Amino acid sequence: MDVNEEIKMELKRPGAELASRPLHFFWVVDCSGSMFGEKMGTVNNAIQETIPEMQEAAEGNPNAKLLVRTLKFSSGASWVNPDPVEVEDFSWEDLIAIGVTDMGKAFDLLSAELTIPPMSDRALPPVIVLLSDGRPTDNYKPALNRLLKLPWGKKAVRIAISIGQDADNDILTEFTGSKDLVLQANNATTLTKMIKWASTVASVVSAPASRPDVLTTSASGDNNGLLMLDMDNIPDPNDIDTSDVW
Amino acid sequence: MMEGMLKTGTVLTSEGKNQYTVKKMLGAGGQGEVYEVTCNGDKYALKWYYRHTATTKQKKILDKLIEKGRPDDCFLWPQDLIKKKGGSFGYVMPLRPKHYKSIVDLMKRKAEPSFYHLFRAAYNLTRGYQMLHKAGYQYRDISFGNVFFDPDTGEVMICDNDNVVPNGTLDGGVYGTPRFMAPEIVRGEKKSSRNTDLYSLAVLLFYMFMLNHPLEGKLEAKIRCMDIHAMNKLYGTDPLFIWDPENDANRPLPGYQDNAIIYWDLYPKHLKDLFIKSFTVGLKEPAKRVTENKWLETFSNLMAGIMICPTCRAEIIYDRDKEENNIPHTCWNCKNELKVPSKIVIGKNRIIITSKTKLYSHHLKGDFDMHTVMGEVIINPDNPTKWGIKNVSKKEWKYIKSDGTEMSVPPGRAATIAKNAKIVFGEETGEFL
Repeated sequence: MDVNEEIKMELKRPGAELASRPLHFFWVVDCSGSMFGEKMGTVNNAIQETIPEMQEAAEGNPNAKLLVRTLKFSSGASWVNPDPVEVEDFSWEDLIAIGVTDMGKAFDLLSAELTIPPMSDRALPPVIVLLSDGRPTDNYKPALNRLLKLPWGKKAVRIAISIGQDADNDILTEFTGSKDLVLQANNATTLTKMIKWASTVASVVSAPASRPDVLTTSASGDNNGLLMLDMDNIPDPNDIDTSDVW
Repeated sequence: MMEGMLKTGTVLTSEGKNQYTVKKMLGAGGQGEVYEVTCNGDKYALKWYYRHTATTKQKKILDKLIEKGRPDDCFLWPQDLIKKKGGSFGYVMPLRPKHYKSIVDLMKRKAEPSFYHLFRAAYNLTRGYQMLHKAGYQYRDISFGNVFFDPDTGEVMICDNDNVVPNGTLDGGVYGTPRFMAPEIVRGEKKSSRNTDLYSLAVLLFYMFMLNHPLEGKLEAKIRCMDIHAMNKLYGTDPLFIWDPENDANRPLPGYQDNAIIYWDLYPKHLKDLFIKSFTVGLKEPAKRVTENKWLETFSNLMAGIMICPTCRAEIIYDRDKEENNIPHTCWNCKNELKVPSKIVIGKNRIIITSKTKLYSHHLKGDFDMHTVMGEVIINPDNPTKWGIKNVSKKEWKYIKSDGTEMSVPPGRAATIAKNAKIVFGEETGEFL
C-alpha cells in the first residue's frame, strides 16, 4: 500500500471532535411515603438498568452530549446530583420513600435549572421524565405555570409515568401537555418497560435513529417533543401480564 | 448483559434449514435487536425485529435481498431468514470484524485514520453504494450508523441493508436519518430514491472529511433550541451551504464550528468543487447531484496526491489548482512551504511519486479498481538516486524517453523515472512531470 506504513505513525489529522449540543435529561421521582416498598424498589431497579442502555445510545450519537440529573420530591424536593453529569459517568443512587408529595417544590427546582443561566442558550430540547403515584400535597399550580412559561420549560419534552391507580392523571397531563405522554404503569413489569421507553427518548430527541414513515402527530399541546417521538414504540400496558396490579 | 427478545442458547432453524444458536445480544436499534449466533462453528450476526417492525413488507424485502445476493463484498448482506411461530422473524448476515470502527468513532476522534486511509475509506464506501445503485437498488438510510471502516487500511463494511429496495419503490418504510435526509424529503415532497441517496452520501462524506455538517454554520449557531422545527428549517426549507460561494450568510462560526474552517483550507480545489456542487445546485436539483464516478475519480486522486512534509512528516494533499496558479503548498502543521515532488500524469490521475507509490488498475484503465496493483516505485539497488516504476502487471509496457527513444518494459522490469519520459500502459499513457 502506497504511503501506508510511512504514514501510520504520522501526525493525527488536525481539528477537534464533532461539535455537539448538550441534552439535559431529568429523572424527577416521587419519593412520597406511598411509593414505599415494591414501587420504589422497581423504580430504583429499572432506572439503574436503563443507564447502560442510555450510555450505549449516547455513544452512538455524536451530535448530542447527554447530561443526566435526578431530582426527588417528598416532603420538600432536592437534587440527588445537583450538577449535570455526563451519562457515561452517571450512576443511580437508590432513593428512599418517605413523606408527602411536594410536587410544586420539584417544579420550582426544575425552573431554576432551566433558566438561562445556568442553562446554556444553545442546546437540544431537554427531556423531563416525571414519575409519580399520587396527588401533589402542595400548591403545585403556580410552580408548574412558571416552569411551562420558561423558554426551555416550554421546549422540554415532558413525559410522565403514572404509577398505580392513585396518581392524578389530569395533573400529569397538565405537566406533559398531552395525554399521550402520560404513561400508565399499574404493575412492576409495565413500570419497568415505561421507564425503559422514557430513557430512549433522549436519543430520539437528539435525532438520529431512522424514523418510520408515518409519524404520529395526533396529540396537540405545546409539547414540541411529541413531534419527534415515535409513539408506536410506547409499550402497550394491555400486552403486559397484569397479575400483580397495585 | 442486556436482556433481549431472544434468550442465550436458543436454537433457531432458518428457512435455509440451517440451525443457529443464540450466543449473546450485541445491541439494539430502532427496528430490532442484533445477536451473535453460531452455525456449524461459524459466527454470524442475527437481526431480530421488534413486533411492530416485523411486517409482511419487511419480510418480502428480505426475501428479495437474500435471493439476489450482495452487490459487492463490502455489504453485510442478509443471507438467511429465520421465522418463529407467531410471526416474529429475523435475518442472518456476516458478523462485522471487531477492529472495524464506526463513523461515529471517527466523529468522536476515537478512530484516527491517516488522510490516506480516510480517502481510501471514502473511496471504498462510495464504490459500495455505486455497486448497490448499479444493481438497481436504493439504500434509503445512508448515515453515521451503518458504515464501518478499518482505520489502518481504509477497508469498509456497510451494514443495515434490510432497508434496501429497488430504486423507485414508493412504499413507506424508513425514509432516512435526520441531518442526512435530502431537503425534498425533509419537506415531505419526495420519497427516497437513488438521488436522495446521493445527497445523504455527500453529507456523510462531508462529515468524514470536515467533521462538521455541510449546512451547520452561523444559521445553526444562531438557533437556541435544536428541535424539530429548527431542524426542518435548517435541513429542509431553508438549507444553505456553509461555503456557498455566492452567499456567505451561513459561514462557520470561529470558536463554535472550527473544524469546518480548519479542514476547508486543507483540501484541494477539485474536492471542494464537488462539495460546492453537492450543496448548492444539489440542494435544489436532485438530478444534478454529484454521481459516484465523480467522487471516485476525486478520491483516487486524493490518495495519489499525498505528500509528506519534509520538516514535520505531516500529510499534505497535492492541489493541482495551487500548482498551476503558482500558489505554494503550505504544511498545515508546521506552516513550512513544500515543493511538489515528481509525479506521473495518467489521464485524469496525477500521482505523486514517493518511495512507496503504487499504480493501481484504475490509474491505467479507468476501471475503478483501486486494489489491483499494476506498477510500483522501486529504487535501483545499484544506484539509489535512480528510481523506477516496476511493471507488476501481466502486460508489456512501452517506455518513451524524453529524446523519443522507445524501449519495451516487460512484466517484472522497471522503467526509469525521468522528467518528460512517458510510459504507454496500453489504453493510457503516463508522463513524468
